[in-house]
Amino acid sequence: MSELTLLVLRIGFLLVLWGFVFAIVYALRSDLLGQRARRMPTAAAPASVPAPAPARPKPAEPALTEPVAAPVSDALPSRLVITTGAKEGLELDLGRETLTIGRSADSGLVIRDDYTSTHHARLMVWNEEWVIHDLDSTNGTFLDGRRVTVPTPVPLNTPVKIGTTTFELRR
Amino acid sequence: MTTEAVSTATGQLQNLTGVITLKLRTPSRLRNLELVLLLFAIAINAGSFVLVQFGVLGEIEPGMLSASFVLAGLALAMHVALRISAPDADPLILPIATVLNGTGLAMIYRLDLAKGFEGWGAASVRQIVWTTLAVIVATVVLAGLRNYRVLQRFTYLAMFTAIVLLLLPLVPGLARTDDVAAKVWIDVAGFSFQPGEIAKIALGVFFAGYLVQHRDSLAVGGRKLLGMRLPRIRDLGPILLIWAAAMGVLVFQRDLGTSLLYFGLFLVMIYVATGRLSWVLLGMGLFLGGAVIASQTLVYVNSRFTVWLDAFNPRYADGDAYQLVQGIFGIAQGGMVGTGLGQGRPNIVPLAESDFIIASLGEELGLAGLFALLALYLLLVSRGFRIGFAGRDDFGRLLAVGLSFVVALQVFIVIGGVTRVIPLTGLTTPFLAAGGSSLIANWIIVAILLRLSDAVRNQPRLVVGP
Repeated sequence: MSELTLLVLRIGFLLVLWGFVFAIVYALRSDLLGQRARRMPTAAAPASVPAPAPARPKPAEPALTEPVAAPVSDALPSRLVITTGAKEGLELDLGRETLTIGRSADSGLVIRDDYTSTHHARLMVWNEEWVIHDLDSTNGTFLDGRRVTVPTPVPLNTPVKIGTTTFELRR
Repeated sequence: MTTEAVSTATGQLQNLTGVITLKLRTPSRLRNLELVLLLFAIAINAGSFVLVQFGVLGEIEPGMLSASFVLAGLALAMHVALRISAPDADPLILPIATVLNGTGLAMIYRLDLAKGFEGWGAASVRQIVWTTLAVIVATVVLAGLRNYRVLQRFTYLAMFTAIVLLLLPLVPGLARTDDVAAKVWIDVAGFSFQPGEIAKIALGVFFAGYLVQHRDSLAVGGRKLLGMRLPRIRDLGPILLIWAAAMGVLVFQRDLGTSLLYFGLFLVMIYVATGRLSWVLLGMGLFLGGAVIASQTLVYVNSRFTVWLDAFNPRYADGDAYQLVQGIFGIAQGGMVGTGLGQGRPNIVPLAESDFIIASLGEELGLAGLFALLALYLLLVSRGFRIGFAGRDDFGRLLAVGLSFVVALQVFIVIGGVTRVIPLTGLTTPFLAAGGSSLIANWIIVAILLRLSDAVRNQPRLVVGP
């Protein structure tokens, strides 16, 4: 084993070690837990998105918080806002995936109080609108004060009450 | 009514399809990435073994080279376990841990070659056995702990476990007898074990569970002093208790590092839980005060401080500070790119394979190699913080931050000790150093982080209520 070979090998090893470090950093770039990658189009989008409608119930927020997930969801509410209950004021980005609601930990929205059933209700997109579907809950799901018995479309800014928590869908 | 039923069925069908695409496509992308990085990691580990053999023996000796493939097989087995049991887990943690473990193994093997140890007398052979055990334990933890929230139920049991583990080295029958300085080892059936390593996991679980319950009252501000809101006097109980425990470790186990590790863990977790910097400043003040008093009054702590501050004094350089000074000379000899694996003389330093593995690696891989290893630690810890950040329940968040911070702090304490930034302590370098307890504890941390990261995706997006 000549000196030169050993020198080349040892410098090569350091380069490969750093190559591994940079491979990991490169893999990190898209942040594999998925958060940043999905938000990326949002940052570029606001320029093309029309200004928030004047009829918005709340004072206008910066356009950046407006998630514009999919182009088709133009008319689809994209936020769920808790209006009363323990986490009043919290928002949840909806996207288009079905959101399950209940006391069990595998629900998308977990509500832990005495009035919520384990698998209480389900909120899903159906014919381009959000529909609330009560899953035979004990104490019921109330849309604008009326108990939901069949899958019912949820209009914008209409309170949905589950247990002691009320939420609304907002754009 | 019929149309409705039909449309409901369609809705469910859509829902079902959604679930299927999510389960099939996204996770396998993560695991495939992990597999690619893992193969890269295995190649690096094999490369370091080959370089060690070229450097020391001048030829390839297949017997021990196959040992590097034991780790490769174990890592691949854990990868398969992840595919089955945690398909959404973070794909970077396992490759990083594999490279760190493999590099440590190669360096220990290199030191064995220099000292002429073979068979069961060789630290590298024992390290391979410990690695096997550690990865198996990690896989069992990963597969057994399907829902990490279960750990929250064991908050106080974890506290009790930690206390027992911390007290074990003081039990007369178990304590290692040849140990003059730090009393952190126990001897059971011919094996030595550092129970404090496992205790750090138990403490992480306990702090996370405790702080989730009590952080509201701990976050309440009290009197204002110098523009900073101090905690209320009546909330000082827990921090004083933990401080007393850390000081107890310092006095009775004579180890500044262990004491700093546990107390630092608590400070960071209480800071993350309450968001109040005053806790951290208060705690650091308490600890510094305690450490200074201990260094003045306790002989063994005082000697550590003297050796640290005055290492190159001829009075100590050949005596108490010999190890420290030789380690620094080794790192200096390595320079920028190192002497090359197998071509330095790291075996001059006493305990080069455990306490001073960083000095050995610094000598043979140089500053460039040492910084690559530090970058890997940084990436590992940042993944842990990222998992904590993405987590949506408070217990999981605190646990992820605590466990990854404890790795970071331990790396700082050890490398800081070897490079004379802080006094030298008896802790081990995570994944690199020879020692079974350290390997097992850190692989368990890896398993818990993987489990937490898998749950991030499957977790509720919002939790209302307690």
